[in-house]
Amino acid sequence: MPDPILMAESITYRVGDATLVDRIDLVGHRGEVIAIIGPNGAGKSTLLRVLAGDLLPDAGSLSVDGIDTRSAGPLELAQVRSVMRSGGASDIPFTALAVVEMGRHPHRTDVDASLSSDRSAIRSAMERTDTLHLAGRVFATLSGGEKTRVVMARVFAQAAPLVLLDEPTIALDVAHQERVLREMRQLAAHEACVIAVLHDLNAAAFHADRVVLMAEGTVRAEGSPVEVLRAELLSDVYNQAMTVVEHPTRGCPLVLITDADR
Amino acid sequence: MTDEAWFKSADPHSGRRAWFWPLAVVVALGVAFVSLTLGAVNIPISDVIPVLFAKVGLGEASSQAEAVVWGIRMPRVLLGFLVGATLGLVGAVLQGLLRNDLADPQLLGIGPGAAIGAAIGAVAGGVRGAIAGGVVAGVITSFALRRLVRRFSIDPTRIILSGVALGAMLSAFVGFVVFGADRSVVPPIEFWLLGSLSGATWRALGTAVVILAIAAIGLLAGARNLDLLALGESEARHLGVDTDLVTTVTLIGCGAAVGATVGVAGVVAFVGLLVPFLMRPIVGPRHRHLLGASMIGGGVFVVLADLLARLVLSPVEIPVGLVTAVVGGPVFLWLLSRRSTYDA
Repeated sequence: MPDPILMAESITYRVGDATLVDRIDLVGHRGEVIAIIGPNGAGKSTLLRVLAGDLLPDAGSLSVDGIDTRSAGPLELAQVRSVMRSGGASDIPFTALAVVEMGRHPHRTDVDASLSSDRSAIRSAMERTDTLHLAGRVFATLSGGEKTRVVMARVFAQAAPLVLLDEPTIALDVAHQERVLREMRQLAAHEACVIAVLHDLNAAAFHADRVVLMAEGTVRAEGSPVEVLRAELLSDVYNQAMTVVEHPTRGCPLVLITDADR
Repeated sequence: MTDEAWFKSADPHSGRRAWFWPLAVVVALGVAFVSLTLGAVNIPISDVIPVLFAKVGLGEASSQAEAVVWGIRMPRVLLGFLVGATLGLVGAVLQGLLRNDLADPQLLGIGPGAAIGAAIGAVAGGVRGAIAGGVVAGVITSFALRRLVRRFSIDPTRIILSGVALGAMLSAFVGFVVFGADRSVVPPIEFWLLGSLSGATWRALGTAVVILAIAAIGLLAGARNLDLLALGESEARHLGVDTDLVTTVTLIGCGAAVGATVGVAGVVAFVGLLVPFLMRPIVGPRHRHLLGASMIGGGVFVVLADLLARLVLSPVEIPVGLVTAVVGGPVFLWLLSRRSTYDA
């Protein structure tokens, strides 16, 4: 097995007396999509922010592509990991192309030398996310789905081996959700390790290789979708009755909400 | 379509920029030239041109024309352009940094803060003292602003309002310094608070140009970081920008640049607010274009405003800040009414 891209050991993050992330281990490889699921307040987004280098862990060690995130500078970090968070600025005055172009910033230490490779990276990122026709449009005037795809293209263009997505499908209709999730798979197919916080359990069931179920800052279960998405485990962690059947066409687990007194 | 052509076609402002730059240079030269001829004494173009030629060693000019055109008006025009270019640049930089079109160095209190230092500096060492004092006090005020930004970074409107309060308070302190000082050494209060280019000399210009050139180069170099910050502070960091460092260094540069302009010309209002606002639709929002355009636009605006300030009640001069405020005030109000919500 090749060296992992992400190696997180015993990551702990506290705010005051509260331990939001409690001794979490996580290893991610190229080509892999890992979904982090769990109820509100489980520490999913906090964990993602620690992995992104936004928050410094109080304990534990974290390396991305062999770089210790604790000592890495912002530029060095940007070359090995990209982040897409929900609720970023939406009134950006630049064109969609300019936004995607900015994804190349971490690789622009030598502007002239990298210009043509930048251009091809930008174009192929927009091709893959079907945003080429939006290139000249002002980002602020795009629809929610278009904005998400343009930001996705920016993440593609950044070409980092670790991709962190915080609820990438929020506020999208089902068709756009599916599209973004397939793009997430594409990212992994291009030699990246994708880690996504997902609320939609069925999205995790079909699109993820591995599912990490968090509760109260710890990992309750980790494994393939079939291993983790079990009715009694989910019902217990979410405190909501659920049942799991096999998806009629996809063959993966299908999680259904049920009533406690069925 | 080739890559290059496609990239160009996707930029809606590239066509406008192609005519903007030549036009801007022509307008700048034209406004400068008109400013050399008009004033309390009108000097015909046929007398101005020989002065310019005489300065490069071609021919002779009348000594009276030379005294007015070269001794008084030329440094004034150049200083006006320099002050305007700096304020336009700083305005565009601050609007990018704070992600708000209402940011302006004078409204945020940097100018009034610098005026305190400049007035004290003037007591100690004339115009050079005023520039040095302005730079120091401008940087200190920027640091105060930095603290406000940190505290209120979720709400840019509050930063602006805090700046307005800070500016009002600091303006009052300028009065305490000026009214206690020797009037023959320290310029009067209206010079500091309304701005004026009446003190322009080659000596003042020579000192200011060095500081402003350094600050401008530093600020222009940060254009790309300002672009990235427009995506949001987290996004900029995720793309490799050290946002804390960029904010601190940028504010120091802005404070020093504004401080130097205040040392030579007092607080000239609304240039930093108005000019980027006018340039944005023409050259586009990317800072590598916007910053340069705001410099040339600001320069032209202040030289033109100073020309009006000299002519309106001639031979009495009115402060140049009155002219810029008459134009800038309504635009500020319009901007405020147009945008009811602000995104962080």
